[in-house]
Amino acid sequence: MVKKGTIKIAGQEHGIRVESRVLEEEIQQAVTKGYRHIEVAAYGQHGIGGRLWRGGDAQIKVDVTGSSGQRLGSMGFANTMIEVFGPASDDVGWLNAGALIIVRGNATNGVANAMAQGKVYIDGDIGARGMTMTKHNPRFEPPELWVFGKAGDSFAEFMAGGVAVVCGVGSENEKDVLGYRPCVGMVGGKIFFRGSQSSYSVHDARLITDLPKEEWSWLKINLKKFLQAIGKEYLFEDLVEKRQEWKLLSALKPHEKKERSIRKMNVFRLDAWERELGSGGLIGDLVSVDRSPIGLITSGELRRFVPIWANEKYLPPCQAHCPTGIPVQKRWELIRKGKMQEAVNLALEYTPFPATVCGYLCPNLCMQNCSRQTVNLPAVDITILGKASLEAKEPKPHPATGKKVAVIGGGAAGLSVAWQLWMKGHDAVIYEGRKQLGGKITETIPQSRIPDEIVAHEIKRLAKNVHHIHLNASLTKEKFGKLKNEFDFIVIASGAAKPRKINVRGIDKALAALDFLRQSKLNCIKVGKKVVVIGAGNVGCDAATEAFRLGAKSVTLIDVQQPASFGVERRHAETAGAKFLWPCFTKAITAKGVELTDGEVLPADTVIVAVGDVPDLSFLPDDVATKKGFIVVNEYFKTNDDQIFAIGDAVKPGLLTDAIGAGRIAARAINDLLKGSHETYDQLLPIDFNRIKTEYFDARIKSFSDLVSCATNCASCGACRDCGMCESICPQNAISRKTLEGENFEYVVDEELCIGCGFCAGTCPTGVWEIVENAPLE
Amino acid sequence: MESVGTINPSTLSVKDLLWQIMWNKDKCTLCGQCTAVCPVRAIELGVHRKRTLQVPVGLEEKPSNLFSVYFGINQRTDVAHACVGCGMCNLVCPNGAIMPLRSDEIDKFRFHANQGGEPRRRGGRRNAPDSVLDKIKFVRISMLTDPALDAGRHEFELRTLLGRILPPEEMLKVSKENGWMPPIREIYPLIIGSMSFGALSPNMWEGLQMGVAYLNEELGMPVRICTGEGGCPSRLLKSRFLKYVILQIASGYFGWDEIIHNLPYMKEDPCAIEIKYGQGAKPGDGGLLMWYKVNKLIAAIRGVPQGVSLPSPPTHQTKYSIEEAVAKMIQSMYMAWGFRVPVYPKISATSTTLAVLNNLTRNHYAAGLAIDGEDGGTGAAYNVSMNHMGHPIASNLRDAYLNLVKLGKQNEIPLFAGGGIGKNGNLAANAAALIMLGASGVQTGKYIMQAAAGCLGSEADRCNVCNIGVCPKGITSQDSRLDRRLDPEKVAQRIVDVYLNFDTELKKIFAPLGRSTSLPIGMSDALGIDDAAAAERLNIKYVL
Repeated sequence: MVKKGTIKIAGQEHGIRVESRVLEEEIQQAVTKGYRHIEVAAYGQHGIGGRLWRGGDAQIKVDVTGSSGQRLGSMGFANTMIEVFGPASDDVGWLNAGALIIVRGNATNGVANAMAQGKVYIDGDIGARGMTMTKHNPRFEPPELWVFGKAGDSFAEFMAGGVAVVCGVGSENEKDVLGYRPCVGMVGGKIFFRGSQSSYSVHDARLITDLPKEEWSWLKINLKKFLQAIGKEYLFEDLVEKRQEWKLLSALKPHEKKERSIRKMNVFRLDAWERELGSGGLIGDLVSVDRSPIGLITSGELRRFVPIWANEKYLPPCQAHCPTGIPVQKRWELIRKGKMQEAVNLALEYTPFPATVCGYLCPNLCMQNCSRQTVNLPAVDITILGKASLEAKEPKPHPATGKKVAVIGGGAAGLSVAWQLWMKGHDAVIYEGRKQLGGKITETIPQSRIPDEIVAHEIKRLAKNVHHIHLNASLTKEKFGKLKNEFDFIVIASGAAKPRKINVRGIDKALAALDFLRQSKLNCIKVGKKVVVIGAGNVGCDAATEAFRLGAKSVTLIDVQQPASFGVERRHAETAGAKFLWPCFTKAITAKGVELTDGEVLPADTVIVAVGDVPDLSFLPDDVATKKGFIVVNEYFKTNDDQIFAIGDAVKPGLLTDAIGAGRIAARAINDLLKGSHETYDQLLPIDFNRIKTEYFDARIKSFSDLVSCATNCASCGACRDCGMCESICPQNAISRKTLEGENFEYVVDEELCIGCGFCAGTCPTGVWEIVENAPLE
Repeated sequence: MESVGTINPSTLSVKDLLWQIMWNKDKCTLCGQCTAVCPVRAIELGVHRKRTLQVPVGLEEKPSNLFSVYFGINQRTDVAHACVGCGMCNLVCPNGAIMPLRSDEIDKFRFHANQGGEPRRRGGRRNAPDSVLDKIKFVRISMLTDPALDAGRHEFELRTLLGRILPPEEMLKVSKENGWMPPIREIYPLIIGSMSFGALSPNMWEGLQMGVAYLNEELGMPVRICTGEGGCPSRLLKSRFLKYVILQIASGYFGWDEIIHNLPYMKEDPCAIEIKYGQGAKPGDGGLLMWYKVNKLIAAIRGVPQGVSLPSPPTHQTKYSIEEAVAKMIQSMYMAWGFRVPVYPKISATSTTLAVLNNLTRNHYAAGLAIDGEDGGTGAAYNVSMNHMGHPIASNLRDAYLNLVKLGKQNEIPLFAGGGIGKNGNLAANAAALIMLGASGVQTGKYIMQAAAGCLGSEADRCNVCNIGVCPKGITSQDSRLDRRLDPEKVAQRIVDVYLNFDTELKKIFAPLGRSTSLPIGMSDALGIDDAAAAERLNIKYVL
């Protein structure tokens, strides 16, 4: 039941301030009783006028006289209108949920803080943090704060909705009608203000200086209401006279906030950085090359790595390890190309004994070092090609030069150098002390190792071309001196045929191994049933094998250390039944056999000594330097006498292929000297095994039956086999095959396409592709 | 002859390496990008033989073999080409077919990375992820006790002073007598630590400088950057941006004649001069810029011929004592700019720090002391120096500060701390901790490289190839094929991002402590740590 009339509630009774709680209860009771006009003589009580829902829909008017405390009208309802006849303290309209609050004077800090609905009219200035954390609940009209004068600092912080209007009356000359730093954290709502404002949170709000029509009309309509409410309607015309005095700050929407209003870095770079420093920035004056950004995958000169088609720029391991220097791999390549005869013939340019040595006698260093071996694949079998070379056609020699070279010795070394000199057009004259050419090959190597007819064929082929051969030619210092006068050069290739002796009692009873082998080859020596060979090297093994052939029942090889014998010689001896004993130190050779230092006697009918041989250099002029019985030479096999070369076992005991290779190198050096020129020979390095990709080959092939299968399985180390793998694997399609003159070709890289991934090198079966660092840029 | 199965003592398998490449045949498209981008050529395409036994069902016929060949990415296992774990392969792979994974055990590689008797050298940082700074918490939160501040709402003055502040009575005296007042700079407390032009690529260096200029001129943040020892491009010396720069002079004196020649043309003074006596990452050891990094550009800036190695010895040859170092070096550097530019030394953190500091307190010319802790980074150092030499920054800085407090000079000579700040990504927290332990400001390098340029290094020994000029991000390379990968403009932008982020984070720490108008230097009552020994050592609260 609504009561007419006004109820007065005093904030002070008997000179004592009524507690805020009591005053609140009195106001609530008054409303419950039906009073709709309440006059409060406040005495600093807080929260006056809020929470009057008990009044229902009917309007309640609360007039406040005296001094209002904090939070006037807090949690006010829409049915409530509060009017304060004087200034108000902090937090007017705190959490206002609908009340209209009119303050006829200034209000201190926190006006309308957290207000969600209703209106707050301030007929004066307000303190700091007004209109902060206000909301707009879409179920209701937005809250409004009207300030006749100006606002204090930190206005509208975190404002999330509602409308604030600051009329700025009396502050027309002030710089900031909204105080210091308004709108920080503002996310919603808008603020109309009249007057100037030097700064606000540009991150959160946007300033509109020319009010849009609808905003202006809203402002005018509601300004009139505000002025009416505070009794200053008469000012309306003055306040709206200059529309441009009014401005609007509205909250930026989230998507608008993202765009920082700061200068873009590229603009700064151009307008500030380079303007101050000059074009090109910090180092524009120091560099001339392009420095613009590039990607991770680059081509052309920006590639970090560059593939090189290094075809035949490295030696294949077979060739690199062949002392004779035969381009083994090249021969297989010729066979792959169907040029069988060329492949066979090629050998004769390097050796007069391709069948004898490569096919039978050589331990085949080419095979031992074959790349395939490194991954447990069998080496391609050069002996097949060697044997096939029996039919090789000799090359056409260069035109005769008329230069003469004496070759002392007709063994492997001497024949090699003579053969090479003949090919180069020089006249090589061979002086051989024995009655046949071939040295060890014909004299001492057992027939079990090489059929006579093979050797005979190859010696015949040589003798057919190298005409001047003197057999049974003994040599003395005097004769040697004469040769020096007659010949341009002398090559000593007299071998090491003088058995080395051991200083033990009864040594005279023993046979020297080379003598034994020489005679056994001619079948003009006999052996006893028990044979002991002192020295278990390869020559000893040959002697043992021969001893068995000649009828020995047991052959024992003894050595002071683990025998150094290897390969086919050792195998033949073991197969024949030879025993190896070591360490054994010979004390004496007696009629019973070989007596060792430990007293043991090895029974022997025949004792053969195979502890090595030394050269017989009785003919050598005294001024030619020797060391430990061997002639001293340089890398080209020249002695300290510029006219004399020395090769083969006379220089250093070695393999047949070592002797043949030495002959080739010496002949090359002599040829250079005779021609007065020094040819350069490619000093190529052997290729790295890791570059060869053997995975392409069948791992189950364990031996080769013919030349074609050898050629097919040759990895072609370091030499392009034209398989096209690189062309196919290149992810950039940058590699292509280019046909050159004749049968020649090359693979080329389009550097604008190539990214330097190295896939070509990764897949090249032959290791031709090489990845190198690109040349440094400036 | 080496054949399959033969090994030497340093033959390693993939399993023995620290970083192991995982490659997925099904996903790989053989595009070649991973092998093209790998900085150390750790991977290559390999040929593989595949054997498939085909067995007819029911065994009615004989089984047969089918041989085929396929291609795949192989990891090289020799020491020189061991994968460094940078992960660039993974970055470029269009199919996600490849990635380095870290070994699950102590690698065997480390026992062999000394071929030829040469100890391992690398760039990067200590391989030690733990950090005392990370463990420090800020335990004093203003809860209705004093005005709590709002990092987002309040204004903060995150500034510090670089320069000698005279005690009031002396200041009065100097003013009255019109004497010399030491120059003081008001700067941002996070300084980009010294990284030389040479150690860094031109694009990285320019990006850093550009970012710093932007922060100053567009955002009003007085951020400073130290050049490191390697000179300074003439254009920068002659520009207004010089005032954002701290020029470093170190034992190699590289580029200093060029700086001297530019003196007449400078329109601004530099912010300060840092005299480097030591570096936290490799204390007591010098630097060496290898000849292949000394290209035309580096040579011009450093004032040396191209293609020579440039050693910075561990010591300055003509200085044998602290007294001499202070008297000669600090004074002469002051003279260059007419006593208008603060000069301070930088030392490695060491148990002898107090001896240096005490000497500096007696000399008005000392503008401060920078202390670089063991967790600092470097472009090149011996592994052993990096991993085992040096002093942690927290206790060293703390000792120095408390020593100043004892002398009553904590407000007179600023301490700057560096070395491992933000090593695990906690830049603002680490910086705040050091400030509250007593630093006036902090210096950081590695964090900047990681955040501003995407440096891949980590405490897990990832990448760390700064020393050989193959930085895959172009940060430390002098090869323009690599450094052009880095766009200076984007580095500059990241610098701005880093600083804005740092600024906010620092406020988020300081605001709840109720500090806004001055840095809480030495406000150690706000610090706590759940390690009693550390708490006692640092004289801060032990909290559990």
